Order: sequence, then C-alpha cells, then structure tokens
Amino acid sequence: EKADPQKTAFLLRKAWTLYSVTPLYGFRRARLRDYARLLGAFIAAEKQKGLAVEVGVELDIKVALSSLAELRGSELDQAALLVQLSSRSRASSRSSEDKPLWSGWFCSVFGDDLSENVPEHFTCLPLFLSHGAESYTSLVGSWFQKTFDCCFRRLAISPLNLSWMVAMWAGCQLDRATSAVELVFSVPRLSQPLDISYAIHPEDAKALWDTVQKTPGEITQEEVDVFMDCLYAHFHRHFKIHLSAAKLVKVSTSVASAHCDGIVKILHSEYLPGVLMLLTELAISQIQ
Amino acid sequence: MDETVAEYIRRTVLKIPRDEIKMMLQKWGFLSEAQLQTLNFRQIKDNISQEVVQLCEENSADIKQAAALDIIYNHIYQNKRMWSVYQMKKSGEELECFDITDFKKKFKRRLRSALKNVTITFKEYEDNAIWIRVAWGTPYKKPNQYKPSYVVYHSQTPYVFISASMLKSNLPLLCQALIVASNYHDIREMELRSHSLNSLKDIVFKRYSQNFQTYTPKPLQGGNIEPEDADIRIVHENRSEKERIHRLNQEVFGSGPQPKLEFAQYRLETMFKSDPKMDVLDKKEPFRCLVKFSSPHLLESLKSLAPAGMADAPLSPLLTCIPHKARNYFKIREKKGLYPESFVSP
Repeated sequence: EKADPQKTAFLLRKAWTLYSVTPLYGFRRARLRDYARLLGAFIAAEKQKGLAVEVGVELDIKVALSSLAELRGSELDQAALLVQLSSRSRASSRSSEDKPLWSGWFCSVFGDDLSENVPEHFTCLPLFLSHGAESYTSLVGSWFQKTFDCCFRRLAISPLNLSWMVAMWAGCQLDRATSAVELVFSVPRLSQPLDISYAIHPEDAKALWDTVQKTPGEITQEEVDVFMDCLYAHFHRHFKIHLSAAKLVKVSTSVASAHCDGIVKILHSEYLPGVLMLLTELAISQIQ
Repeated sequence: MDETVAEYIRRTVLKIPRDEIKMMLQKWGFLSEAQLQTLNFRQIKDNISQEVVQLCEENSADIKQAAALDIIYNHIYQNKRMWSVYQMKKSGEELECFDITDFKKKFKRRLRSALKNVTITFKEYEDNAIWIRVAWGTPYKKPNQYKPSYVVYHSQTPYVFISASMLKSNLPLLCQALIVASNYHDIREMELRSHSLNSLKDIVFKRYSQNFQTYTPKPLQGGNIEPEDADIRIVHENRSEKERIHRLNQEVFGSGPQPKLEFAQYRLETMFKSDPKMDVLDKKEPFRCLVKFSSPHLLESLKSLAPAGMADAPLSPLLTCIPHKARNYFKIREKKGLYPESFVSP
C-alpha cells in the first residue's frame, strides 16, 4: 500500500524516538475532536500545577489529532493516528500562525501478529514515534495511558536488529545513493572508551549484499550474518580488531538511520513502509 | 582607546574562568599591581571585564596589548584548538645561527608586503617555543581579531604547529612567510592533527617512550600486568597468554605514557578478499571504506584492546605506527607483489 508522498513528507528527515504501545482500550476514531480537547485541557492543567514545559514563556498549547489512513500495511491494520502540539503565543495577534511544538504518531504496519489475538474494544497501534521535547512526550504519554489503559515503553534496538537493518537498507536500489553505509561501534569497557566508525561506499556495500542475498525480495538471518561477517573480516584483515566483540550502536544509510537507543530517521519515502513494517515487528516483540 | 579594542579586551576577559582572571592579568603585565588591587574578582564576570576595560582605558591600551592578552589565553588553553603539523625543508646543509630578531623582521615584512591589514604578535616561551598570532584583514577591511591564526615554532626544529580558523586562502601566505623568515625553502603539511599540542610535539620530537628499551623499567605502582581483580580462575595457560600479550604490547607501544591523540582516520582502498567457499563479492576494484577511531586518549585505548580480548596481539602496524610515522590520517592501498596481504600507505 503506497502512502501519498505529500501527506507523509513530514515524517522524513526527522529523528523519531521509538516506543512500543500496548493496545488501547475504548478508543473510538469518531471522537478525535473530543480527545484533542481533553488532552489540551490535561496539558493546561499540568502546566498550572507547575509542570512547566517552557519557563517564562506564555504559551497556549493547541492539540490536534488526526488519522492517516494511508499509513498502514494492509486493511487489517488500524490507520495511523497523529498527535500534534502547536503553540500560539498569547502576545501575538490572532492571525499569526501556530508554531509546531511537538508531534507523535501511533501506527501499525502489518501488525497482524498482535491484532489478530486481541479481544474486542481494543485498538492495536503498537508503534509510537515522537519528535520534540521529552517533557511533551511525557505529558501526551501520561494522558493516553490514563485514558486508554495502555503502556508505553522505550523501544531499544539490539545490535542484532541493527545489523538486519543495515543489511536490508544497504541493498536497497536507489537512483543516487549519496551517503555511505556507516556502522558505528562502541567499546566502552576499556581504560579509555573507543568509538569506531566504519563507513563503506554505498555502491560497494550494495555490490557485496547483492552477492550474499540469494532470493530477491527475501532476506534470511543467515544472509545478514554472512554480510556482517564479511565486513568484520575485511576490518580484521587490516586492523586485527574483532569488531564482532564491540557493541554496534548506530547504523546509517541513504535510506534510513537507526540508533540503539531507539531513534530512527527515515530519508526516503519509497522505503517508508518497509522501515515501518520492521519497526512495528520490533514493537510487537517488545509487547509480547 | 579604540572602541573595537575595548570590546575585544572585554570579550577576551569574559572567556577566562573567573578564578584565573587575576593570574592571567598578572602574566599579561599591562596593568600595574596597584591597578590589579582595585579589581573585585568576586563579582560576576561581566562586571570584572568592564572594570578591566576601564583600567585599560586609563593606560591607553591598543591592539598590540590586546593581542598579547589573547596569546596568553590561547597558550594556557591551547587544547581548545585543533592543531595541524607542518614540516619545513632546507635546501642545503647550511648551519645558521637562529636570530629571533631577524626571524620576526623577515616574517612581518613578508606578510605585510602581501597584505597591508594584518596584526602580528610574537611571544617567546621558555621551552624555545615562539608563539605567533596573526589576525587577517583584506585590502579594504581591518583585521578580524576574532578569527586569528596561531603558529607555534620551535626554532631548533623544522616543525611548525598551526591552528588556522581562517580562510584557507591565507594559509599559503602564512606558510610562505614562515619559510622565508626561518631560511627554509619548502614546507609541507603532515597528516597529523590533534587538540593536544603537547602530544603533537611529543610525537614529532620523539619525546615519548618508544619500543626500544635497553633496560627493564621499574613496574608502575600496582603493576599493570594483571587487572585489579586478578581472577583466581585464570590458570597457567591463560596467564602465559596474558603475559605474551602484555610483552608484545610493551614491545610495540613502549611502557611509558602514550602521546594524547583523539582520533585516527583511514581511507581504505584495498581489495575485498573472502573465503572462496563463501561465494561472495569478488570484484577487481577496491572495496572503498573510511574508518575512523575516536577516543579521549586513542593510543591508550588501542593499547588496551588486546588485553581486553578485543584484538589480536600484536596489534596491526596500521595502528601502532601512528606515533613513529607521526601521522593520524592514512590512505591505504593494496601492495602488489611478494606480500599480497600487506599494505602500503603513501
């Protein structure tokens, strides 16, 4: 299902922090306007209580909730839900534009593993992505948790999953791959910490992956392992260092980049569904 | 006093941590001890710097004095800047006596003949280091005092350390002035960069302990053969392996402290080789990579890799050659011929 590039352009080139979310109880699409109003009131009340998010600035925070029908894998998935916080300074006139403050969105891309086993009245949107100040994420998260009895958890990305991502993305066909395929490793437990950045020319990385992948359209764990072993072996040949013993913390390609703390940036709309599908899968594993 | 000079002095003082302002002003020596006594160093820095400016006004400070204060600040906080190393070459074997006055005169003359608007300041330090500060202008604009270049030259050596922060277009002019003033005929940039100026000096002046030990040095306090939590489960085989690694490390790195570098970068243009059984990439062109190692103290970090089980001992010469090749930027290509596994670094 191809998403309209115009509507999803705002998703690209931003760093999104990832969370897994358990199914929402009692969520109704028809009530989005009500929810926006309630969330707005909640945020205003928290600010009054002294949980100030901006010190010294008088801000009215406007909340908007909308559905993104295009952002889903299949008809079995729920449409994505977008939450946007914007501010209008009380000092400025009514005609001035709202300034975007924070955005977050819930989605499910081929999340059938979760949704098919879930009882009535529950809505499955296991992946949550946020962009903006942590304090707003906290406010919005708390309201959703209270209102729909769900649970948010930061989604860390393991080295195993990072290597899956880099292999997959390195193999993507792009007209113009401008960035290198970069893997960043960290060796923290030494007397002096060491970071190693290993960046491969995108054409060469793709050429390697193409010889490793046996069936187009399908990727196996074994193929990912072979790809990574090749990179480790090439590195070892030069430096005599066992990169496989270091911690893979970040991978970066022309398609997308991902950090082990659960932060991703998607650069190409063409691969948006593929990336979201992978992240949905990770979120579901964390929930189950 | 020129208001641009006043502002420059004010901003320079603001950069200094409050506890060090008095010491730096004393080193500067432009304000008298009596004047320094009148300053209240316990107020906020904004006020201290205003008071300093007022005293400078009384003494009619000009840009020369302001530049001198800036050199003192940058000498103490030299590690905030990134330094590159340049090596000069003499054409013949002329042994000339170095004359500092001659050097300064020639340097200034060469720069000023090409560029009228420059501020040039010199300061000599005890370790034979000559610090030069150059603020650059254009034929139509006065020098920008906020983006000067710093040069550190040890007259007994062919090495010059430069911290640029300026338009690249002025660099050739600076280099020209240096070789003219010091009676060399050529200068080239080495592939060696770091924030730690002293470590760069250690490397090029070979002041660090190297791997030719003719005596067994006393072990350091606590020894560094076994980690603090010497594991009783380590049996003889493991212990002899640990000792082998330690010995190899000593041979390669020496037993003294390593010069402090923050990174090393390798541009690899070698072939990808793999086990033919794996049936993977077999291209005739290089597998292009860029590898960057970073650490607060890179060489110590690399030294600890083998003992931590992260690397083979001895470590690759690509890494261990950094101090004695005096470089931390490398381009590695495949070496053809007898030893296909070895690399050449131009």
